[in-house]
Amino acid sequence: MLDKVFCIDDDPITLMLCKKAMQRVDFAHEIITLQSGEEAISFFETNSNSPENNDIPNLIFLDLNMPLMSGWEFLDIYLNRGYHKIFTKTSIIVLSSTIDPKDIEKSKFYPMVVNFLSKPISKEILQELKSKL
Amino acid sequence: MKNNSNKITLIYFVILITVVFLTQKIFTSYSFSSETNSIITTKEIVIIVLSIVLFRYFLYVNEKHNEIVLNKLKKSNQDIIESKERYDIVAKATSDTIWDWKIDNDAFIWNKGIQSVFGYKKEEVGKGSNWWFERIHPEDSLKMSVRLYSFLDYKTDKWQDEYRFQCADGSYKYVIDKGFLVKNKDGKIVRMIGSIQDVTKQKEEEQRLRLLETVITQTNDSVMICSTQLNENSMPNILFVNSAFENMTGYKTEESIGMSLDILFGEKSDNQHTEELKKCIREYQVCEVETICYKKNGSVFWINFSMIPVTNKDGEHSHWISIQRDVTEVKEKEKEREQLIRELTKNNNDLKQFSYITSHNLRAPLSNLTGLLNLIDDIPIENPELKELIDGFSTSTHLLNDTINDLVKAIVIKDNPSIKKEKVPIKEVFENVFNQLNFMISLHKPILKIELEEEYISNINKSYLESIFLNLMTNSIKYRSTTTQLKITISSKIENDELIISFKDNGIGIDLEKNKDKIFGLYQRFHNHPDSKGLGLYLVKSQVESMGGTITVDSKVGKGTTFTLNFKKQ
Repeated sequence: MLDKVFCIDDDPITLMLCKKAMQRVDFAHEIITLQSGEEAISFFETNSNSPENNDIPNLIFLDLNMPLMSGWEFLDIYLNRGYHKIFTKTSIIVLSSTIDPKDIEKSKFYPMVVNFLSKPISKEILQELKSKL
Repeated sequence: MKNNSNKITLIYFVILITVVFLTQKIFTSYSFSSETNSIITTKEIVIIVLSIVLFRYFLYVNEKHNEIVLNKLKKSNQDIIESKERYDIVAKATSDTIWDWKIDNDAFIWNKGIQSVFGYKKEEVGKGSNWWFERIHPEDSLKMSVRLYSFLDYKTDKWQDEYRFQCADGSYKYVIDKGFLVKNKDGKIVRMIGSIQDVTKQKEEEQRLRLLETVITQTNDSVMICSTQLNENSMPNILFVNSAFENMTGYKTEESIGMSLDILFGEKSDNQHTEELKKCIREYQVCEVETICYKKNGSVFWINFSMIPVTNKDGEHSHWISIQRDVTEVKEKEKEREQLIRELTKNNNDLKQFSYITSHNLRAPLSNLTGLLNLIDDIPIENPELKELIDGFSTSTHLLNDTINDLVKAIVIKDNPSIKKEKVPIKEVFENVFNQLNFMISLHKPILKIELEEEYISNINKSYLESIFLNLMTNSIKYRSTTTQLKITISSKIENDELIISFKDNGIGIDLEKNKDKIFGLYQRFHNHPDSKGLGLYLVKSQVESMGGTITVDSKVGKGTTFTLNFKKQ
């Protein structure tokens, strides 16, 4: 079981679904939902001096299509600020309903992105992930 | 000669003496004169001597005359020999065939040329003029004989004609025949002598050149010949233009000749191209440019202009040949086409973007719906009516999800021409497909017959191929016959460098007469089956085509369906 998981999505129903599904399979001790990329960035900003902090998530589920700051923009900032080197225990999984094959290719460019999943997240997938991580 | 005269003179003297002596004797025996003892008198001696001198003189004169005649004869004899020699030399040197026609008795003599040039054997050659006439080409003989007889009538000295003369092997040679007449003292024609020259080669060359010339004069491309002399602007002068040039530029031949190539160019002409042209001209290089040119009336047009240097026998550059084509229409069409392609590409991209966004916006809430239903599955529902409602809600949602997923797949296939291609064992593909359909296969127990002549399929996308066979297999099971056991035959073979995979079942079949055009269409359904959405075959076709293959179908209602897939083998 993971310690801490972030879900970043602008859609509250998706967030609710994620949380419920993860709870069913005992995916993580703590599931924190964030409704925008900015929220997540400011979290990492404040914790950039203490990367070993227990508040730092092990895994982030990131949506791509969000208003204001899209998932791509979030990834760019994360990469440019070197967060992938600071928060070494944090992995990111893109969770999107996109069908554009270019998006999957593009996601491979970011070293912290470990997977690209299609919505909705199911219990089966979560169980598989759990066994791998 | 002298000796001969002296001999004759001596004989004459002896005879004379003998005669005088004998007459003396006769006279003495009959007359009995007193002077019987005198033998020959002085007077007689004088007469004899005088007679001898006279005789000797006559002989001398005669001799002189004979000598002159002899010399004349010798000379004319020499002339004849020389003339004969000259004739022989000329006859040898010329390739002409010479004939001699004695008109009175129609005797016709040929020299050796009739054998060497026309291939006749000595014994084949006829002795009369008929033999000659018979060998003249039927198309030429009438004209030729009319001209020959009118020549004979007018009695002019020379005659010349061109006709085809038949060789021994039956073929014809083009000849020029020149003849002259020989007349006797009274002006009557007695002989005609002619010489036949074989001009076949020249004639053929002439015809070939005439044919080549028609290419230049008749072609729709404008043709120009220029000299190698350049004007102050480094442009060559025009020596010849064909009628296509006149039509294209509006310049008449007589106006163009002597002008320089400059007349075609103007300020709108591409400077870079005219400079390139000049450079090629300086260096005697082949050159081809496309630029704007000017007609005589000042209007502009696009020209495709090529120039080729031509050398003479000695390999020196003697002329330029230039071929030009009006490409205005092509240029305009090209522009239109480019514009059209730009617009289409833009539209296509817009549409693609639109479809991605739409599908994304559809998929986002739909994925929530499926996610919610998945969670509900785990919660026991007591109220039977609520359960029924939720089941209906669930079925509809999953159907909607499937449809959207299929559509999304179709969009991705259409938009992804550069998919990963590899060499795949066909057997492995089927194994995967059978595994995925394990449940259906164990339920309906179809007879599967697989005959693979070719084990591998190269240059293929594995997941597309799996999806194709999954679709075909599912169709076969869905649309199986209710009365006979389902049998599926799958085979592969190579034919004409193509890999052919055939997929055959004995199911209910499709009425192709009605549905020929629709079978691979989007949302086309041919049976009233609850699971049928009309997408499967559309996907199959899209996938096959995206890998460069083709798919065809053959089917009979109640008998079964065969799908044939063709892939280029590499």
